[in-house]
Amino acid sequence: MTSPVKALSSGAKGLLPWVVPIAILVVWELSALFGWLSTRILPAPLAVLKAGWTLALSGELWTHIRVSAGRALAGFAIGGGLGLVLGLLTGSFRRVEIALDTTLQMIRNIPPLALIPLVILWFGIDEVAKLFLISFGVFFAVYINTFHGIRSVDPALIEMGRSYGLSGWPLYREVILPGALASILVGVRYALGFMWVILIVAETISAQAGIGYMTMNAREFLQTDIVLLGILLYALLGKLADVAARLLERRWLRWNGAYSAA
Amino acid sequence: MQIDNLELAQVEAVRCGNGGLEVEVSGLVKHFGERQVLHGLDLSIPAGEFVAIVGRSGCGKSTLLRQLAGLDSLSGGSIGLDGKARDALGDQVRIMYQEARLLPWRTVIQNVALGLPGSRAQVRARAEEALAQVGLADRADEWPSRLSGGQRQRVALARALIHRPRLLLLDEPLGALDALTRIEMQRLIEQIWRQHAFTALLVTHDVAEAVALADRILLIEEGRITFDEPVDLPRPREHGEARFAALEGGVLKRLMTVQALNPRNQLRGQVAEIVTDKVLPEVRVLTPAGLVSAALPTSTLSEFPLELGTEVLAVCKSNEVVLAATD
Repeated sequence: MTSPVKALSSGAKGLLPWVVPIAILVVWELSALFGWLSTRILPAPLAVLKAGWTLALSGELWTHIRVSAGRALAGFAIGGGLGLVLGLLTGSFRRVEIALDTTLQMIRNIPPLALIPLVILWFGIDEVAKLFLISFGVFFAVYINTFHGIRSVDPALIEMGRSYGLSGWPLYREVILPGALASILVGVRYALGFMWVILIVAETISAQAGIGYMTMNAREFLQTDIVLLGILLYALLGKLADVAARLLERRWLRWNGAYSAA
Repeated sequence: MQIDNLELAQVEAVRCGNGGLEVEVSGLVKHFGERQVLHGLDLSIPAGEFVAIVGRSGCGKSTLLRQLAGLDSLSGGSIGLDGKARDALGDQVRIMYQEARLLPWRTVIQNVALGLPGSRAQVRARAEEALAQVGLADRADEWPSRLSGGQRQRVALARALIHRPRLLLLDEPLGALDALTRIEMQRLIEQIWRQHAFTALLVTHDVAEAVALADRILLIEEGRITFDEPVDLPRPREHGEARFAALEGGVLKRLMTVQALNPRNQLRGQVAEIVTDKVLPEVRVLTPAGLVSAALPTSTLSEFPLELGTEVLAVCKSNEVVLAATD
């Protein structure tokens, strides 16, 4: 009896968050149509879509996305990988922590973007500079959360593991790593968000391809629709990375009620 | 009939070299920094005996258990198991904690099989068997977070049993459970102990639990054993039974006396003078700190007659101590 009503109301609930964005898009499109908004300032949503469609058909769009995503992921792999390894080391071995942690904490206070002039001097303006900036940016998010994850593993569980004959790698695999995983994944999610921010800035330094290059180029020719398309692409890619991280959390932390699929 | 079977199982277990370990503790000393917790504790437990240790919190009972489990290093003294050093037979000792300490990221059966060597199928079969023993075979593939407190402790018990321990240490494992679940668990532990014939050492603050399970009840005060009482009631024991209640009352009374005698506020000395001509008789005790006088009700004095020169303890409650400045 109640199920159709329920389905309807849950369907309405699903739609509710989309009402405002759709309304904005409609108003926007109409105001462009009636000439209230200059296309120089803000092109109509349909114009942005059309620009995207044309670029997609010519294949240009995919090249830019591939280059940008490749850059971002390579930087993330290098910086995140280093952060993970160093975080595991400083978290697990007191001596490594004493030797390295102070240094790393000092470097952490440098905003990565403040390094741009130096990075250009060191590496010039090509790919290496961009990779360096992205790696530097994501490193600390992963490092700190890994370190804290390892340190905050319940000592009672470690003691239990030892008294049940675990030590060395088995203890690490069964108790320490899974215990730190939730914290590590928080670091990964944060790093993925930061990765796109750095990428955008890095791609405006000077690039031969990539979404940043595409938008900077379009700006020269006053193609506001393509500029807007670039901005939307960044937002989409950022969202995609976040969804991927969330899926990882759901899969790896499914034992934890807070992360299991609702 | 059932008891015959259990006895048979015990005989079998002993024959397979699977029976209990004999425990010999001598002169055990443990410091934590400045604080000394165990003061030369001696204890010997024959193989297969179920011993319960009671005592106020902070008396050193858990410390003793942790030493036996090899979790903390010794400050002095020795622990022997079957005549060998503790570490030689360390893998035949298992401990159950107050909390179940299950790994939340492993399923119930993976938790039970933790640290068990062998092929995957073999391990799974043994873990299933252990789970069936504690009555949780149907929950094998669930996450521990889905279980109740009592069920988690049963999983912890299965995890300990799968290693076929010859000495099982129980550190207040039922302390956090409700009364009904606790009695259920006591029955389960007793039944499994009789089947496997391991030596068991239970730390508890529940005297009824000690009387229900143990062959022998020990009381630890100030890091020493001060009371050692065998419990020769037939098993399984019923909580309401007269002898059960009498024994429980006796141990409780003893425990309460200890409770009143806080070791931190006592002075040892000799009775120097007994003054009886006041409203309340006064007993003056000569202690290393000087003369201490205590007013006692006449009834107490006639119940516990004192003579001059008797060794006594002068005790005061810590919240009745007043520090006054001298000027």
